[in-house]
Amino acid sequence: MADKKNKPFISYKLSAALVCYSIVIIPVALLGLFTYLPVFWAFQKSFFEFEIGGVSRFVGLSHYVEYFTTDPTTYISLANMAFFTFFAVAVRLSLPLIVAKLIHSIHSERWRHFYRILFLVPIVVPGVAVMLIWGGMIYSSQGFINEFLRLIGLGDLACGWLTNPGTALIAVAMVGFPFIGGFEVLIYYAGLSGIPESVNEAALLEGCVGIRKFFLIDIPMVLSQLKLILILTVIAGVQGFEGLIILTGGGPGYRTSVPGLMMYFNAFSFQRFGYACAVGVFLFALIFTLTIINFKYFKSAEEVQATN
Amino acid sequence: MKNRKNWKLHLAILAFAIPTLLPFYFVINNSFRSNTEMYHSFFGFPKTLKYIAVYSIKTLKGEKGTVTVHDEQEQISKTVSYKGAVKFYFNSATRNYKSAWKVLRPYFVNTLLVVIATAFGVLMFGSITAYILSRFRFPGNKVIFYYFISTMMFPAVLTLVPSFLLVKKLGLLNSRLALIIPAIAGGQVFAIFVFKSFFDGLPQDLFDSAKIDGAGHFSLYWNLILPLSKPVLSVVLIMNVLGMWNSFLWPYIVNTDKKFHVIASGLFVLAQTEAAANFGLLYAAYITSSIPLLILFIYTTKTFIEGMTSGAFKA
Repeated sequence: MADKKNKPFISYKLSAALVCYSIVIIPVALLGLFTYLPVFWAFQKSFFEFEIGGVSRFVGLSHYVEYFTTDPTTYISLANMAFFTFFAVAVRLSLPLIVAKLIHSIHSERWRHFYRILFLVPIVVPGVAVMLIWGGMIYSSQGFINEFLRLIGLGDLACGWLTNPGTALIAVAMVGFPFIGGFEVLIYYAGLSGIPESVNEAALLEGCVGIRKFFLIDIPMVLSQLKLILILTVIAGVQGFEGLIILTGGGPGYRTSVPGLMMYFNAFSFQRFGYACAVGVFLFALIFTLTIINFKYFKSAEEVQATN
Repeated sequence: MKNRKNWKLHLAILAFAIPTLLPFYFVINNSFRSNTEMYHSFFGFPKTLKYIAVYSIKTLKGEKGTVTVHDEQEQISKTVSYKGAVKFYFNSATRNYKSAWKVLRPYFVNTLLVVIATAFGVLMFGSITAYILSRFRFPGNKVIFYYFISTMMFPAVLTLVPSFLLVKKLGLLNSRLALIIPAIAGGQVFAIFVFKSFFDGLPQDLFDSAKIDGAGHFSLYWNLILPLSKPVLSVVLIMNVLGMWNSFLWPYIVNTDKKFHVIASGLFVLAQTEAAANFGLLYAAYITSSIPLLILFIYTTKTFIEGMTSGAFKA
């Protein structure tokens, strides 16, 4: 291997390349089998009607047609998904930012650190446990809210919040109240810390303080963080349904169902794998479109990551 | 003046912090109580803990005497010394935890095995592949890199159903491998991305001098690269541990056999079946399942946070 200056010390020799290929082939094959093949199948099998072990029958686009025309759950699921997503966006773009701003305004570094950690600690609780806590401890008939209502003499208002058709949707959306995720606080805090001191001083000189400064200086300066949380929340809103399996199973009726959940039921309860694949492809297309729309925001995602 | 303003800030932050943490307080509180006690008053403080405190103080003070102790759940009543009472109530208070641990122990073992195997696979494949792609030039180098990172655009919702069909076809349903192998295949992608950008930033001189010292490729990787990339390694490690510890849907779908439940799926099944009427046990199970990550968080706070944030970007 003759080394030349300004060249990597490994030559282009065929033998070296072969060694490289022979090592990389394992992860490449793993990825091909467990990611690319399922991706291909998702599209391919969406054109077939089949059951596991049974014959599969080509049905063309009829799954997609069925989804948008005859499936009675489609539009209510999409509406629910839009509601959950808008709600999540509204609360995750505002409340954690306010908390981050409050923490950031404290003078003592020790307290600032303490509060950031305090909001992060709940992250150690497994997500499933959090959902089970909300479903079983907070919303259930003998749960926190109902017991509290009884305590203050409003026992008549007590109900099964997740099973009552009138309250289920909003109850699911309220899971996680008061929506101060440690992750979001951390991101916003990093953004607020990144505001140059000169900007803060200039604002102070101009007499721009308090609420006015928050809206006129801080929010524009953490725009890239807001965009990041926006795209993460939207993607999670479109494809997330794990919590709903635990909380409501989409019920009562289809009051809280979302497209992802219907995909799950079609596959694993109704054995309609082909149809489920079609729903999955539709959700992929939806996420892909939203991502393209937000494509320029991904740059800011990397910037934020670099500052962490 | 400044202090006064700070005081208001603290109050405002607490107004958010208290409702955030309140559910967890009640989970902990009620994990020490029996169902009967909980039905009597949801908000009460655990009787057992109160008695433990009372009789511990009496014992410490050196007071002698006997007391009649009760246990509602087992319907025992007996007269014991103060010291005996502490022991008795300690047993009642921890009963939920003991039963929870009995159920969760096999799930813990499964989770640990899966987490360790996955983390090992991801770190190994991730670092070796990234090293090769970063430091060797060969035809197809770039193509392979893009082959890996383009999979980041496929959301889990697209591949969930076909992945299940694949794992079923491979005969891996109800096995730990069904959790480990796909997780390595998917997890290595982000690891490669992180490792490669780290390796790309290392100065070429470093490799040249090691080469002159007569280091072979393997020793270069093992003795130079791996020790250097410890910070990145630990971030990727924590990210994977977090992801696997929390992953619920996939284990729930592919492993329906009780033998192969992990913590997340096991908790859900537990909540649905056996212990539906025993909330104390469930709460104790939630707390128990949070302890490993809590310990990890306390000991590796900085790395933990980095792992968590990079994990979120992956999603």
